[in-house]
Amino acid sequence: MTMLQQTSSRDDVSMIQFVGVNKSYGSFQALVDINAEVRKGEVVVVCGPSGSGKSTLIRTVNRLEEIQSGSLLFEGQDVHAKMGGSALNHLRSRIGFVFQSFNLFPHLSVLDNVILSPVKVNGVKRGEARDMALRLLDRVGLSNKAQDYPAQLSGGQQQRVAIARALAMKPPAMLFDEPTSALDPEMVGEVLSVMRSLASDGMTMMCVTHEMNFARDVADRVWFMDAGRVLETAAPDEFFRSPKHPRAQRFLSDLRAR
Amino acid sequence: MALLQNMIGIVEDNWLLLLVGQYPNGPLGGIAATMILSVLGIGLAFPLSVLMALARISPWAALRWPVTAIVYLVRGVPLLLIILWVYFLLPLLIGTNVPGFVTMVVTLVIYEGAFLSEVVRAGIKALPKGQMDAARALGHSHLGAMRYVILPQALFNMIPSIISQFVSTIKETTLGYIINVPELTFAAGQVNNRLLTKPFEVYFILAIAYFVVCWTLTSLANLLERRITARRARIADSGAEAGGVAAASAGVSRA
Amino acid sequence: MKGFDLMAILLSPEFSGMIAHGMEMTLIIFAGSWLLAMSLGITLLAIRMLPGRITDALVAAYVSYHRNVPTLVQLMLWYFGISSLLPDALQLWLADRNGEAAFAVIALGLCQAAYFSEDLRSGLRAVPKGQWEAARALGHSFTGAMSYILLPQAVRNAMPALVNHTVSLFKNSSLAMAIGVAELTHAVKEVESQSFRAFETYLIATILYLVCSLLLMWVGHHLERRSRMAGAL
Repeated sequence: MTMLQQTSSRDDVSMIQFVGVNKSYGSFQALVDINAEVRKGEVVVVCGPSGSGKSTLIRTVNRLEEIQSGSLLFEGQDVHAKMGGSALNHLRSRIGFVFQSFNLFPHLSVLDNVILSPVKVNGVKRGEARDMALRLLDRVGLSNKAQDYPAQLSGGQQQRVAIARALAMKPPAMLFDEPTSALDPEMVGEVLSVMRSLASDGMTMMCVTHEMNFARDVADRVWFMDAGRVLETAAPDEFFRSPKHPRAQRFLSDLRAR
Repeated sequence: MALLQNMIGIVEDNWLLLLVGQYPNGPLGGIAATMILSVLGIGLAFPLSVLMALARISPWAALRWPVTAIVYLVRGVPLLLIILWVYFLLPLLIGTNVPGFVTMVVTLVIYEGAFLSEVVRAGIKALPKGQMDAARALGHSHLGAMRYVILPQALFNMIPSIISQFVSTIKETTLGYIINVPELTFAAGQVNNRLLTKPFEVYFILAIAYFVVCWTLTSLANLLERRITARRARIADSGAEAGGVAAASAGVSRA
Repeated sequence: MKGFDLMAILLSPEFSGMIAHGMEMTLIIFAGSWLLAMSLGITLLAIRMLPGRITDALVAAYVSYHRNVPTLVQLMLWYFGISSLLPDALQLWLADRNGEAAFAVIALGLCQAAYFSEDLRSGLRAVPKGQWEAARALGHSFTGAMSYILLPQAVRNAMPALVNHTVSLFKNSSLAMAIGVAELTHAVKEVESQSFRAFETYLIATILYLVCSLLLMWVGHHLERRSRMAGAL
């Protein structure tokens, strides 16, 4: 049973589109002339050495980071246009975001963490939100933890709750910013398996991750970034077997050497 | 405007009274008395507070409980009531009349001793446990470790908090007014009683005077805190110690 | 000197009546000033969060003034100073109706508001930035993020300081005696001067203040423990 409402068809509908995006911090350019696209139903993995701008890139999609030039379209809408607060809030509510440090709300129970935003932002009735939250928690394998507080959960469990919390807003796309980098190795698997099942249900996903096996198995496209540029985009088989860009080749050989 | 002119006029006419009270035709008063009271108060309270802090963290319950009880007692009762107690008991205990000034000093020593002991206790606790372990491993006794290793570090980190408490002490001296100790607030009262028509100007001058003194000292404390925190961070980076940096210098805060 | 006789005070209707009224006045002043201080403290924090440096500087100046000027002096400035600036008719009206108590509540409340706003501000600063980002990423507005996610955590962080300052405020009610408010310390001084039993009278006052302070501290710790985010021990 799929937890998503939309059908899992892969259209040529563009979900996220970067057109000539540039971002700098003062004199340091973090993103240089990004042109790339995530289509509906696609799973894109963004990889590259640290400091390449991967996190910055994904954070511009829901405008947690500003851009200096270019345009970023989500479902055809310009994310970085001048807009009122409530318009931006509405836009953000349609983009699911999972943080490296989970950022669960410590003063609320697990269930309340998931229920809060559908109720307060989307206006869903509390009873309905509760049912949906319990279903989502069940789907990520944590329905028995509904009444616990985040501090009582392991890292892997917290991250799964964070995913459920994001899904509760019924977003058409999900962004993952190094979702497993802060986890102990034995907990990485449980989070990745939730992400895998999301992908197979047809969710549009953009993931910044170092988990190359996940990329190989699940991604439709891999974007390789270095020094603020997207240097190569390819299907995973192609990318891992024979990367074209010299820096991508060096990156992969460094990885394999470990 | 007229207000400012009035205030300047009042200061011009009465600055001596506000500065030193009726000295030499009477006891020392005014700002001078306030500062002497504060310095004596915190100066004498300090060794007392260190002893009390040591007692509160000592392993001997017979020492811990009474001192803890005293601290809770002093913290739970208004300073004004403590002044009344001391004013009443001290002459009885000593046998002779006690001037208000001495009463005030004794009260401040007791009051600040209790509060300062909390600051010292927090400062000691904020040091990494490894320091005590290392000292004992080298053969120091508990008290020896305290004297040579723990206290020097803790007290250095607490300098900003101690300055903070000093500022509090200055503010507490104003209560001497109630028992006619001729400090600054009392002097201002005298000026007001003479003038009668300009109470706002007089008390505003009073407020400004305290503000200038306290604000300067508080800024000094903040500056020292930043310096000490930075210094400790550099030491921590070099691996010699860990954690507890800002906590040690932050100590306990109180209104 | 007469022997220790607590009952002489407690059983005398006149003396115990004065003490009871004093206690009542102390509690009224405490309650009034606490409400004023808390609501003003929250308002000051809200003002401080408005964009622009002027609002921040104004609140900072307010806090600085009230923390550096002794509370007694603030009381006196209000009661002796500011009241003299009011129109005569208003002054007379206030004098008839226990104006001292009103000035005490205002002065003490305004003073503590500075401390409360700083406590809340520290509490807010201690909330990790990720919480703010998660709230915005989910689509919450600024007010929504504040109300449901940030302020609840800020208050929990600030609890120990808020409790401490509440106890301070309670004790500061005794300062109102200096402007003639008939609260507990004032009543105790009166009883002492009439009965000549300083020890017994002061003892009763000490016990009353101590019990109230400890009660406040106990309630505070209880609230702290209950609101502490489970597991964050």
